Amino acid sequence: MQLKHRQIAGLLSAATCSLLCTPAQAEEGEWDVDSAILYYAEDNDRVQAIEPVISGRKDLGDEEAVSFKLVIDSLTGASATGAVPSTQVQTFTTPSGDSTYTVAPNETPLDDTFLDTRVAFSMNWEKPLDRNNRRNYGFNVSREYDFTSISANALWQHDANQKNTTYSYGANLEFDQIDPVGGVPEPGSSMDDQMKGANSDSRNIIDLLFGVTQVIDRSSLFQINLSLSEADGYMTDPYKLVSVVDATSGEPIDQLFESRPDSRSRQSLYGKYKKTLGNDDVFTASYRYMTDDWGVDSNTFDFTYRLKFNQGYFLQPRLRLYDQSAADFYAYFLVDGESLPGDVSADYRLGEMEATTVGIKFGREYDQQHSWSFRLEQYVQTGESSPSEAIGQLRNQDLYPDVTAIIAQFNYSFVF
Amino acid sequence: MADQRLSRYASDSLSVTRRGSLWVGQFRCMASPCEVLIECESKAQALEPCALAQQEAMRIEQKFSRYRDDNIVHRINNGSGESLQVDAETARLLDFAQHCFSLSDGYFDITSGLLRRAWQFGSGAGIPRQRELDKLLPHIGWNKVRWRAPELEVPKGMEIDFGGIGKEYAVDSVHKLLKQTTAASFMVNFGGDCTASGPHADGSAWITGIENPRRRGDASAVIKLKAGALATSGDVFKFIQQGGKRYGHILNPRTGWPNPNSPLSVTIAAPTCTEAGILSTLAMLQGKDAEKFLDRQGLKYWCYR
Repeated sequence: MQLKHRQIAGLLSAATCSLLCTPAQAEEGEWDVDSAILYYAEDNDRVQAIEPVISGRKDLGDEEAVSFKLVIDSLTGASATGAVPSTQVQTFTTPSGDSTYTVAPNETPLDDTFLDTRVAFSMNWEKPLDRNNRRNYGFNVSREYDFTSISANALWQHDANQKNTTYSYGANLEFDQIDPVGGVPEPGSSMDDQMKGANSDSRNIIDLLFGVTQVIDRSSLFQINLSLSEADGYMTDPYKLVSVVDATSGEPIDQLFESRPDSRSRQSLYGKYKKTLGNDDVFTASYRYMTDDWGVDSNTFDFTYRLKFNQGYFLQPRLRLYDQSAADFYAYFLVDGESLPGDVSADYRLGEMEATTVGIKFGREYDQQHSWSFRLEQYVQTGESSPSEAIGQLRNQDLYPDVTAIIAQFNYSFVF
Repeated sequence: MADQRLSRYASDSLSVTRRGSLWVGQFRCMASPCEVLIECESKAQALEPCALAQQEAMRIEQKFSRYRDDNIVHRINNGSGESLQVDAETARLLDFAQHCFSLSDGYFDITSGLLRRAWQFGSGAGIPRQRELDKLLPHIGWNKVRWRAPELEVPKGMEIDFGGIGKEYAVDSVHKLLKQTTAASFMVNFGGDCTASGPHADGSAWITGIENPRRRGDASAVIKLKAGALATSGDVFKFIQQGGKRYGHILNPRTGWPNPNSPLSVTIAAPTCTEAGILSTLAMLQGKDAEKFLDRQGLKYWCYR
């Protein structure tokens, strides 16, 4: 078609954007360093975490770059075991099997031996193949005293349509080894019997990703990702329990180690829209739908709005809404005398729930050299505390306690 | 402290004066009168942004002017056809020029500057002979250049010239820089190519005029600009009159000739000056179809014939 009949203003706009809206770029040979410290605290003496993170990226020129990230997690506090509360004092055996702890009447049983430090390190190398193709390889390793994870990933990105469209194809292979304290418990066996088998078990996970990013015009873009994940192997949480309760009184009479299927297939669809408004404010909205063959379906909506002020200051409110359905084998408890299901878990993370995160981030970008920001968020998770299947004393107990957590993070980025 | 900062920017060739409720910084650059209008209280507040604007404009002129012998453009144009490594900013401009070349079917071409050797506007010379153009045309065409960032290979005998986007790019770059420096509302105007950062503090628009080329010296259209950019292309000053025909200076890189039915001037309002500049130049090259082309773009324009 002749030029006079063509609308080129839109494509020209996008090209002008790449010319003028260039992100801050470190000079060749310098390290872009991002450091952060995150504090996470759940209420009622539950999990607390302090997590320093440092990451660096070095531009090797010609769009080639290497990057690394180091995370150290230090967790303390207690986590719900899945066992139901009782009107009586309950005694539990610690995972190591060599001691016991008690839980007061009408309190949610927590495993307070929970204390862990995790160190995770990842490395990445990106290199363009030619003007429109980039490849990216990464390697991650994460270690804590009862868990080791190693993974490797590859990503290929292809630009088309004057760089207005980018296609991404990625794959990730992960190997996890779990070494539960005291050995791997026999799934479905009673805690009292302490039937522990091998010292460790493992699982493999394969993830595939396909994504398209489309520049709509000079101020907005849309991204859509489809991911598939296949996990095989040991998926059970060796520290989680399921209570067996008396059919009339609802009092727990036994605690079983939970049992999960030995495979999980997950599919997720993710869409994100980002728009820069006339006054340089940035609005981002994203949605993720995830579904798996355990019956857990979830929806995540995430909205942020970045307000820009003079001298590089910015303020960014955020709202995140999450809901999920329960896994098919999730149960608040089992009833004595009824047949045992093949798989069962009372882990609240597999139950039906809703979660809301409300937060605000405030920061300042000085120039291309350094910036800082502070983020404060509140996370509230709720579920059905008084399910209709509750019997006896359980009708008076909170079977799905709310979790409220505060997240605070300070970030400082610089070039050196 | 403030004095030290100001003295860093102070420059003999910059004048900062009051005009109504505005402070106006004026200097010359890229062969044009350049102005930065700032809505602020004091001269001290205006001085830093004005000086930064001048510095940035000078920097861009120094780096990309084809009239200098100490810059990247000179190195590219005077090489012997071997591959040359360019810096990130030059690479972005080359990427952009490449996009414009393909978007416009070759009507926008940064290798077309060679045609100046045949067309000498304002020198009293006549129009060139076809055979002079025929000698130059084989050395024109971005498609003959090998560009793979950051390596550029321009065949011997060819030249590149950022003249077609340099001034508009400078206006946008200064705009971006001032946006980071000052909270005040401002307008950047380099020889009629301008951008506004946003409305005045009272919400009113910046008022700028465009000249009707048929009635010189008389602003025929008053444009109210709250934010965004304006750029004008025209043959008002640079043309050759010969044999009853008027030959404007905006040349079709594919033929070496101006389009005989071009408008006298085209002004376009667009989000950035660079876009407005490219589109107004392309509209001029569409000749009698300029308006048809402009209508398709969906932007506000003023076209004079």
